[in-house]
Amino acid sequence: MSDVLTVKNLIQHFPIAGSRSVVQAVNDVSFTVARGETLSLVGESGSGKTTVGRCILGLINPTGGDISFHGEKIDKRNNVRGKNLLGKIQLVFQEPAESLDPRVRIGVTIGEPLRSLGERREEREKRVREIARRVGLGEDSLYQYPAELSAGQQQRVGIARAIITNPDLIVLDEPTSALDPTARSEIIDLLIRLQKDLNTAYLFISHDLSTVRYLSHRVAVMYLGMIVEQGSAPDIFSRPRHPYSIGLLSSVLLPNTNLERSSEVSLQGEIPSPIDLPEGCFLTSRCPFVETQCRAEMPKADDIGGGHLVHCFKHDNVIDEEKATLDYFERFQEEAEKLLISGQ
Amino acid sequence: MVENSEAGTILNIEKLNVSYPIYEADPVHALRGLDLKISKGEIIGLVGESGSGKTTLARSIMQLISQPGRVDSGRIEYDGQDLATLNEKELRTLRGNDIAMVIPNPRTELNPLVTVGMQIANVARYHLSLPRKEAKAMALAMLEAVQIPDPLRRFKAYPHELSGGMAQRVVMAIALICSPRFIISDDATSGLDVTVQTQVLELLQDLVQQQGASMLFITRDIGITAHYCHKVAIIFAGEIVELAETKNFFNNPQHPYSVMLLSAFSHNPKLRGMWSKAAEAPPEGASGEGCYFAPRCVRASDKCWAEHPLLRTSGEAHGVRCHHPVER
Amino acid sequence: MRIMRYIGKRMIFIGPQLLGIILVSFFLVKLIPGDPAVMMLGPMASESTLEELRADMGLNLSVPQQFLIYIENLVLHGDLGRSWQTTRPVTEDLFLRMPATLELITLGLILGLLIGVPLGVGAAYLKRGILAKFSDYYGLLAGALPDFWLALVLIFFFYTILGWVPPPLGRLDFFTIPPPTITGALLIDSLLDGNWQALSSAAGHLILPVLTLGLISGGPILKMTQSTMDRMLESDYSRYEEMCGLPKAIIIRHALRNSLPSVVTIVSVLYGFLIGGAVLVEIVFSWGGAGQYAVQGVLNADINPVLGFVFFSAVLSLIIYLIVDLIYFAIDPRVRG
Repeated sequence: MSDVLTVKNLIQHFPIAGSRSVVQAVNDVSFTVARGETLSLVGESGSGKTTVGRCILGLINPTGGDISFHGEKIDKRNNVRGKNLLGKIQLVFQEPAESLDPRVRIGVTIGEPLRSLGERREEREKRVREIARRVGLGEDSLYQYPAELSAGQQQRVGIARAIITNPDLIVLDEPTSALDPTARSEIIDLLIRLQKDLNTAYLFISHDLSTVRYLSHRVAVMYLGMIVEQGSAPDIFSRPRHPYSIGLLSSVLLPNTNLERSSEVSLQGEIPSPIDLPEGCFLTSRCPFVETQCRAEMPKADDIGGGHLVHCFKHDNVIDEEKATLDYFERFQEEAEKLLISGQ
Repeated sequence: MVENSEAGTILNIEKLNVSYPIYEADPVHALRGLDLKISKGEIIGLVGESGSGKTTLARSIMQLISQPGRVDSGRIEYDGQDLATLNEKELRTLRGNDIAMVIPNPRTELNPLVTVGMQIANVARYHLSLPRKEAKAMALAMLEAVQIPDPLRRFKAYPHELSGGMAQRVVMAIALICSPRFIISDDATSGLDVTVQTQVLELLQDLVQQQGASMLFITRDIGITAHYCHKVAIIFAGEIVELAETKNFFNNPQHPYSVMLLSAFSHNPKLRGMWSKAAEAPPEGASGEGCYFAPRCVRASDKCWAEHPLLRTSGEAHGVRCHHPVER
Repeated sequence: MRIMRYIGKRMIFIGPQLLGIILVSFFLVKLIPGDPAVMMLGPMASESTLEELRADMGLNLSVPQQFLIYIENLVLHGDLGRSWQTTRPVTEDLFLRMPATLELITLGLILGLLIGVPLGVGAAYLKRGILAKFSDYYGLLAGALPDFWLALVLIFFFYTILGWVPPPLGRLDFFTIPPPTITGALLIDSLLDGNWQALSSAAGHLILPVLTLGLISGGPILKMTQSTMDRMLESDYSRYEEMCGLPKAIIIRHALRNSLPSVVTIVSVLYGFLIGGAVLVEIVFSWGGAGQYAVQGVLNADINPVLGFVFFSAVLSLIIYLIVDLIYFAIDPRVRG
């Protein structure tokens, strides 16, 4: 099987101390990640995407459902700390400054995973140098402390530390949110290059849609712990069918004054609390297309073809009303390229 | 889209130099000879990356530069008055009342022990000398204006009980309640969910234009300025390197740094590579007086290393600080 | 309603907590050297009389057995035993002496607050200048000076030289008739009784010891207030309020409100400490307080007073901590959430 990671019907509910309610963080999530591909989980706060990331590492026992890595089940007993999986699944964090030990030199930090795997010092140092070169860190930086590096460089360290064990899967939790736009684009380029060279799969968790568009092969849109729509990146971005996806995509502000942000769909209000969610679809309080059926039951996945799944009773109507074309990102790309080339 | 602004300058910054002295080292120059003019009713987007000086600028206008920073030289004129000549009492009358700031991360910046309603009311009470009851009523009206659902209940809420989006609206209410003529928004929407950000931006733009106020919209996200600002200013290393009307800027960005910022949004790494490079050391014999962007500029020439470019305004009020601006 | 449930929950735990405290104290106290029988009857007593007394007092049983008897007496009869020095039941003694201590330390801490908080706020606000320097020195002195020494100095100055206060011989003048005991606090009881003579006498005798405790406890209260206010004035929201142009008075008031939890904490710690810790001051002023009682019990291997004192202090401390938590509830909305 070329699927590195399979998640089936994952449920994660967190009990609240002193009450009988639970935080329904993840509600029936299923997806797969194939070798060398990038699947992005996008969503806003409360979507559960970070919790999914944590479940995959096996640090918490899921309330329900299965996670398997290369066909082997992952849970608290067989997780990333266990001998089986050590080094095969890695993680890159959001805040580079906070994920690096401030008292340890960069070179040592990068080599730490190899220490856990029991590699010897010489071997380790060789690998660290090689990886540092790959991620674009100068050799002198290996002797520096995190505080001496810029945010972009710190994130390169985080990435170096993740790839040094040649993992099959890297979970990246908002790795560029804390960075300036220029550093962000450099890191994304680096990630793409590395993926090509090492054939690593990425589970990319983010709320930055234009980065996701660029980086992903497939995208899953999450809302309140559910995947509302998933499919290939072009499908999701150009032909979204779920009201939430459309609302989300039309909120992206790209730096171009000529393109009309064309959408009839707008989401009112705010994301409700993940405690005590209602019966039926979770979007009912904000959806402009809502009707009685939506409030009564949760829509199951509808396969529109090509692996494009939508959870909505009304998605046909949605696409009818959404007359304007949604190739906003494509058109922006063209205009941007024209602009950049013309200046030279 | 934004409508045209009226004439008349509300804020005039001339050659502002702000630095932070460092013990036994060269001081950090946060702002270097910064010039900026904002007209009444105008919304200017100021885009810069970390360390560009944008937050220092915001604080300088409020005359609240964090210790030990200080103004070395230059003028900040608000509505014709040099702010440096005002005493603390006069400045306090301006702050929150005529010049207001919308801050990011509101939940940590609001007082955790006071209800949000009272925090809004307090500003009205002290600046407009209103009795408590009237101030409360005004605060309630403001909560409605910023479209907080269930305003009566939310009035009595504490900051930690609100979501990020709602806390942001509260902060907007605080900023706008005294109908200030000038609003500084410092990265006010970072950290908000995209859908909430849209709502907040629409609201902010509406309210600002309703009141006929001017706004300095500081952000790291250049995309926002394309949709919500009359003009765009790019700040780099403590000075303005480009300033133009929004449409002109995005159709024809002239400074290499501006193009580099825009290229970050393109999905084409080759193109990006055309406009950015790793920071380079100055060549032998360079005077050190050159353009601050030269080390990272793909078009840097000898002149760039030798001579500091001035902000030159071409036709259509498009200002660029560059010896070799991009021409199309 | 949530508050009642919270108090209820805490009440449930008081029983086991007290049991634990008494258990540990009992066994520790039994380690005190000295044979009470010998102490009571003198070194000349015969062995048989001693044996008889020991059997009478239950000292010939094993320690765990003695403990069980003690607990049984306490829980079923409210009996803490008898002090062989005063020959009275410990409960009676303590009901007399605890209020004396409590009246003293309560007033002392109130004075400490009146001194420490304003100075602390002032020192935090005016970072440089005379007030800040004065607060520094005062804090240092208050920590360094022994309280009994200060008491003696004050007595010397205000009584011996100036004669402004009555002599340090207890809570009342010898010839004054004390009011009937309702709360045990002389000021309150005299007021309730309309006994003005007792009131003025009690007040006069309270001045110096309260002043002593107030000056000493003012030190840590000042330091805590100052450092917390410092932090609050540097905080994000204080800066934000400055940005909104709110007047300094409001900013300080808000910062003070935010500092209250820390001040309340330190007052509660001081209170718990002073129940026993005021003993030296009590001795100087012949106050007849609870601390003195316990110390004498230790010195004379008189176990019941010591254990009784521990028990009373424990109950008081638990009540204080409960009150403190309720105050937090009232002040800080984040705790309620």
